[in-house]
Amino acid sequence: MRLLHLTLIFLLIEIANAQLKNERCFICHGVKNFGIVEQGKFKSLYVSREDFESSVHSKFACVSCHVDVRVIPHLAKPQKIHCLQCHFEGNVVGAPVTAKPEKYKESVHARAIAKGKNAPDCKDCHTVHYVRRPNDPKSTVFKANVPELCGRCHTSIKEEYYNSIHWAGIQKGELSSAVCTDCHQEHDILPPEDPRSSLNPKNVVGTCEKCHSDVKLMKRVGVPVKNPEAYKESFHGIALKFGVVRAANCASCHEYHNVLPSRDPRSPIHPANLAKTCGKCHPRANENVAKGKFHVLPGEKESGIVYYVYTFFKWFTLIVLVGLFTHIALDLIGHLRRKRKKSEK
Amino acid sequence: MMEPRKEAEKIIREIEAEKGITLEKEFREKLKREIEEKIKAELEQRKKEELKKIKKGEEEEEYFIRFSLNIRLQHLTLAIGVLLLIITGLPIKFHESGWAEFFFELIGGIQVSRILHRVGAGMLIFVSIWHTIYIAFTKEGRNEFKELLPRKKDFLDFYQNIKYMLGKTNERPRYGRYSYIEKFDYWAVYWGMVIMVLSGLILWFHNFFLGIFPKFVFDIAKEAHSDEAMLATLAIVIWHWYNAHFNPHIFPFNPTIFTGKISKERMLREHPLEYEKIMKQKLMSEGKSDENQA
Repeated sequence: MRLLHLTLIFLLIEIANAQLKNERCFICHGVKNFGIVEQGKFKSLYVSREDFESSVHSKFACVSCHVDVRVIPHLAKPQKIHCLQCHFEGNVVGAPVTAKPEKYKESVHARAIAKGKNAPDCKDCHTVHYVRRPNDPKSTVFKANVPELCGRCHTSIKEEYYNSIHWAGIQKGELSSAVCTDCHQEHDILPPEDPRSSLNPKNVVGTCEKCHSDVKLMKRVGVPVKNPEAYKESFHGIALKFGVVRAANCASCHEYHNVLPSRDPRSPIHPANLAKTCGKCHPRANENVAKGKFHVLPGEKESGIVYYVYTFFKWFTLIVLVGLFTHIALDLIGHLRRKRKKSEK
Repeated sequence: MMEPRKEAEKIIREIEAEKGITLEKEFREKLKREIEEKIKAELEQRKKEELKKIKKGEEEEEYFIRFSLNIRLQHLTLAIGVLLLIITGLPIKFHESGWAEFFFELIGGIQVSRILHRVGAGMLIFVSIWHTIYIAFTKEGRNEFKELLPRKKDFLDFYQNIKYMLGKTNERPRYGRYSYIEKFDYWAVYWGMVIMVLSGLILWFHNFFLGIFPKFVFDIAKEAHSDEAMLATLAIVIWHWYNAHFNPHIFPFNPTIFTGKISKERMLREHPLEYEKIMKQKLMSEGKSDENQA
C-alpha cells in the first residue's frame, strides 16, 4: 500500500511536470505588474505572452531554457541562463550556430565585461524573451531600430547620429543607408586603435566604400559614386595607403556620426565651413579652399579646368613622343640601310 | 744618316783584312750591291716603324675639350637630381602598382621617399639658379647661350637630316657647336623646369600657398606636375639617351658630358663647323705668334 502511494505521488509529479506548459508560467508572469522587491527595488518579472509567442523561440517551453524550474510555482529564484546553453556547435535542439558569439568575445563590450564593467552582452541587444529575426521590423536589431538600441547607452552619439543624412535616409525608407552597425560592425566591435577595426584610419576608406562605391545604390540616393576612387588618387589617399595615418581620411573632413551633405550649412564640408575643416590640419587654410571642386578626377569633364590641363598634357605628350619616336626610327633605319649598302659594296 | 753604299764597301774591306784575301773584282761588286740592298731594306723598315709610332701618339693625344668643368658639373647636378626625382616620383604616380609598394618598402617608407624627392627638387632648383647666373654673368656662359640660340640654320639642318636619314642625299648636315637635336634638348629643359619647379613649389609649400591661391590652383599644380613629369621622363629616357648614348654611332656610352673630351674623329663627324672654326682660330693665333717672333 505504501509502495502504491509512492508510485501515485511520483506519477502525479510526472503529470504535473508534463503539464509545465507555458500557460502555467503565464498565470503569474503574464500579469503586467508581477514582480518582486529585490534589494529595496521593484523588479518586474512580467513577460508579454503576445511578444514571446511571436519570437523565434515561441515553439519552446519556458522550462527548456529555465531548466531548473521543476515545479510550478517555483520557490527558488531560477539560475541565470545563457544563450550558449543551446547555441553551441552540435546542439540537439536545432539552435542555429554562427561565429557571432566568437566574434563578440573580441569586442570592446566583451572585454569591458571581462574587466567587470557594465557592458552589453547578447541579451542586451537581442532581448531576453522576445528575440526576433533581424529582418523583422519589430526586432530590436532590425536595421532601422539599431540606432535606438545602441543609443540606449550611447545617448549623446545617438543624438548626433539623428542629425545625419544617414538617419534621414533610413527615415525615408532607404534601408541601405548606414546605421551604427554598418560602420562599427555588429558583433566584432573593435576599438579604432585595433588594426583589424573597420574604424582604424587605414580601414575607414574601405568601410565607407562598401556603400559609396556601389554604383546602383549611389545612383539611387544621388551621391557621386567616384568620390572614393578620387580620394585614393589624392595625396591624402596615397599617403594613407602607404602608412601615413595622420593623412586625412573620409571621416577627417566628413565627420562620422553626423555626416551631412555639403548643401547643409551645419556640415563641415559646407563651403562656409571648409576653411575651418581644412584648417584642422592646414593652419593657413582660408576661404580659398572653397574655390574649386573636391574629389577631382582629372579625366572627368566635371573636373573643370583640371580636365583641360589633363587633356592638354595628354595630347601634347602624345604628339611630342610620336615626333621623337619617328625621328629615332628614321635615324636607325637610315643607319641600317647605309650599313647594308656598304657591306654590299 | 749612313750611306748604304759606303757601309757595304766598309764591311767588305773589313772581311778582306780579317781573312787576308782579295776578292775577284766582279764578285766583289756583286756582293757589295747585295749588302747595300739589305741595308736599304732595313733602314726603310725602321723608318716606317718610327712613323707609325709618331702617328699613334698623335691619335691618342688629338682630342678637343668640348665642355668646361662648369658645364659638366651643372649637367651632373641636373642629371642626379632628375634621376632622384624620377625614381621617387614614379611610385607616387603609379601608386596602385605592386612595384610602387615594393619600392617604398625597400627605401624605408613613403616618408623617406618624400625627403629624397625634395633633395632632388633642391638640386634641380639649385642648378637652375646656377645656370641662370652662368649664362648671365660669365663670358663662357654668354657664349654658350649664344651658341644654343635657335637660328634659321637649325631648320635647314633638320630638313637636311631628314633627307639624309631617308637616304635622299648622302650629305649629312654640317653642325656647328650644337646640333638642332642638342638645342631641342636644351630648350625642352626650360619648359620642363618652369612647369615642374613652379607646380612642385606649390605642392611642397602647400600650407603656405593655401593662404594665397584658390583650391583649384593646387589641383592644376598636381595634374601638371604629374603629367609633365611623365613627358620629361619619357623624353629623357627615350630621346635624350638615344641621341646621347644609345645611337649606333656611339653605343653604348658617350663619356663626353662627364669627361669634357671629344675625339677629333667625332668632332669632324658631329661638329664639323666647330672644328673648322677652332682650327681657323688656332692658325690665326699661331700666325700671330710667328709674327711676334719675327
